[in-house]
Amino acid sequence: MRIVIIGAGEVGYNIADILSKEGNDVVIIDRNEEQLKMVSENLDVQTILGSGSSPHVLKKADLDRSDMVVAVTDSDETNMVACLLAATQSRVPLKIARIRSPELNGKSELFGKNHLNINLCINPEREAVKSAVNLMEFPGASEIIDFAGGRIQLIGFNIDADCIAVGEKLSKLGELSGGKNVLIVSITRGDKLIVPSGNSVIEENDYLFAVAESTDVRDVLEFFGKDIDLPKRVIIMGGGITGFMLSELLEKKGISTKIIEKRQDKCEILASKLNKTVCLHGDGTSQELLKEENIQDTDYFIAVTSDEEANILGALLAKQLGAKKVISLINRVDYVHLIPTVGIDGVINPRHSAISKILHYIRKGKIISVTPLYNEKAEIFEVVALETSEIVNKPFKEIKFPKGTIVGAIMRGDEIIIPGGNSIVLPGDHVVIFTLRSAIPQVEKILTVKLDYFE
Amino acid sequence: MKVKHIFYILGAFLFYFGLTLLLPIIWSIYLGEGDLNALLLSLLITSATGAVFYFFFKPGEDRISLTHKEGFVIVTAGWILAATFGSLPYLLYGVFSTFTDAFFESMSGFTTTGATVITSIASIPHGILLWRSLTQWLGGMGIIVLSIAILPLLGVGGMQLYKAELPGPVKDKLKPRIAETARILWIVYVIISVVEFILLLFGGMGVFDSLCHTFTTMATGGFSTSDTSIAHFHSAYIDGVITVFMLMAGINFSLHYSVLTGNFKTFFKNSELRFFLAVALIATIIVTLNLRLNLFDETVKSLRYASFQVVSIFTTTGYVTGNFADWPALSKIILLLLMFVGGSAGSTGGSIKCMRILLIIKHGYKELYRLVHPHAVTTVKLGENIVSVDIMESVWGFFILYLSLTVFATLIMSVLGVDMMTAFSSVAATIGNVGPGFGMVGPSSTYSELPYLGKWILSFCMLVGRLEIYTVIVLLIPEFWRK
Repeated sequence: MRIVIIGAGEVGYNIADILSKEGNDVVIIDRNEEQLKMVSENLDVQTILGSGSSPHVLKKADLDRSDMVVAVTDSDETNMVACLLAATQSRVPLKIARIRSPELNGKSELFGKNHLNINLCINPEREAVKSAVNLMEFPGASEIIDFAGGRIQLIGFNIDADCIAVGEKLSKLGELSGGKNVLIVSITRGDKLIVPSGNSVIEENDYLFAVAESTDVRDVLEFFGKDIDLPKRVIIMGGGITGFMLSELLEKKGISTKIIEKRQDKCEILASKLNKTVCLHGDGTSQELLKEENIQDTDYFIAVTSDEEANILGALLAKQLGAKKVISLINRVDYVHLIPTVGIDGVINPRHSAISKILHYIRKGKIISVTPLYNEKAEIFEVVALETSEIVNKPFKEIKFPKGTIVGAIMRGDEIIIPGGNSIVLPGDHVVIFTLRSAIPQVEKILTVKLDYFE
Repeated sequence: MKVKHIFYILGAFLFYFGLTLLLPIIWSIYLGEGDLNALLLSLLITSATGAVFYFFFKPGEDRISLTHKEGFVIVTAGWILAATFGSLPYLLYGVFSTFTDAFFESMSGFTTTGATVITSIASIPHGILLWRSLTQWLGGMGIIVLSIAILPLLGVGGMQLYKAELPGPVKDKLKPRIAETARILWIVYVIISVVEFILLLFGGMGVFDSLCHTFTTMATGGFSTSDTSIAHFHSAYIDGVITVFMLMAGINFSLHYSVLTGNFKTFFKNSELRFFLAVALIATIIVTLNLRLNLFDETVKSLRYASFQVVSIFTTTGYVTGNFADWPALSKIILLLLMFVGGSAGSTGGSIKCMRILLIIKHGYKELYRLVHPHAVTTVKLGENIVSVDIMESVWGFFILYLSLTVFATLIMSVLGVDMMTAFSSVAATIGNVGPGFGMVGPSSTYSELPYLGKWILSFCMLVGRLEIYTVIVLLIPEFWRK
């Protein structure tokens, strides 16, 4: 598959990285020579210098022979023009654009068949805001990903010292928790990713990924000693697009929200657009201001400015001043690893959200959804079990799964099964599978499904 | 730096590299001239060594990625290994009595220099002669690039190797994937070679000579199957064909690709190509006039020898049809200067390359222009593209390093006791991968009389010149190895 990516920023770079490593021909276009140099030095892709909205440049990128265009520059206008050109000048079948403006959402008439004809609009900020709200609903989890239309959830959380599961084998968890249906699909200990078996032991500071029915998630988190109360008071630092969308959502949920923004003009705009939210003019990293606004009684402090370092520092400061939980927006992968160790409770990563949305979309077929985890080292996906697959009609203990692969959940009609050794998959079931990236070819083989792309 | 990965890749490279000896072996079996054992043994030693390294250092993971540094080390080491193992047939058959000579000949082959230390080519069996020509053809487009093209050995690391072997000032990737780009360059290379082979056959050259000369023309190498080089054939047709193909080999192969895909506009609008052809044309005209007025009585004869020799030296091939040592001073100086220009970037030609010379001229003009219009905003442009300051700096850096190395090596050569012209021209001809120089290393003599140390210095010059200075020299600075 030949893919043209317009914009070599964080999102463009990472999509190019994943897609090219999976054997696609990738061409990447950007106006910034420096950025392109970095791309061509690290990735096996073709780079073209120029504007993505220039017909000439797009012709040079051989758009005519491409199967997909992914326009992810900073400018909505460029992305739209690029998709328009891809549709009219070259008839590219699949077009994905990043549209950030809150006024233009994916459902807009403008993107329909009759106008721009963009197949998928992604708004990284909107995705990130959604995941942030998700996180706030389950304060104990650091990551939450939905499957089966939200009926099954993958939760990522850290093990604290006082957790009762510390030092216990995974096989014992069922007894301890009183029969809760939960499956631990992976354990991260330091830099190491462990795919656990029944004999694996949970240690302090482990980071777990667990699959559970969404109705059980709250109980599961409670069992692991995590906080499950809904927040009442939230302070947001940064009044950009993300901050605005976030406060709008929280407002709707009836949570008391305050938003701090440095620039007077932005504050005025925010104040005019938001009804209940308190708009504060000032620096989110100023102790005086935070104290003045009762930071010690705040359930959540969320730092979403465009300055990642400021977000981290702001969050730490707020935590020190007494905020119960702090979340910060971080795009750089390098920093994400730091987060649990410094004491930040959660991360909003728009880049990551955008990437997984795009991967979801292009890997259609029998695969229903895919999410990269751990900095793209592992993936979790939902798939329909076929008659021809090796995993059907056999108890799990007789199946030889590739190393690093775990079936997290089975859905049969309305029933949800968190599997054990005696579980059986029937043809037509939906299966949630966690796997290391290196095992994907074997997984494809036993499922007789290709983790293939939309054709 | 992951030493294990480096050994693993070099092992795989060496294994396949040994297999290229099969072509001369087939020839040797066919003719039965007694060089079969030497060739077979070379193959065995090379591939076996490679296989041992390959299996011993095979890494656990499927995909290994390389850093820039590892790329430099692998390419430089790969070339040194190729030259070392490539010298085995000469040594085992006994063409040379010393390793120095065998290594020099082998290095001269792979770097497409064409400087020889063989005094009597007629006494060498055909199998080994074919190997000698083949080394040039392999080295022309690049042995590492060939491995990238046909071996799915490397994932992302291919890019680092590709860049280290084909450094050029501006890289254009023809296809999204590096392996495919490499494959296309090799396919174009093979297609043009086949055409030349057929045309030479028509000139009555014989299959063996046509094959060998095709190999060495397309690589702008210059090894011949006769002591008197192309002059041996006394044929204006052959001179003409070879002149045309030397020119083609001196042109960027991605331009040939654009012609083969029907894109003539890209080809003729390319400013480097225009510069390349203009230099060839102007130099030919001056040398022709100079010869006509001072040496020959016929204009056509002057043109024939002048054009062949100008193109041969300019593209850094190094074939000889006339003993240019006896030519008038103006012609000799033009040839000597041409050694410092060389082919286009992305061609098989060596030396500084037209692209860099052109950029330096443009940059010089820009500085003058700025003196006239102090407030003007100026950029160096190449065709439609603006050349960034980074690239300009790397071009100047290359230029300075190239000249400094030439001066430095010339000094060492003169310390070793050769005359001035020999010292300077031998360095210019080896660092530029040309072949024949002046004085003791002139068109009618060989490099065999040079002192041993001198041969090692020149072998080093060839390697440095072929890998465009940076790739090799960067390994010599302590900062590179600092942890």
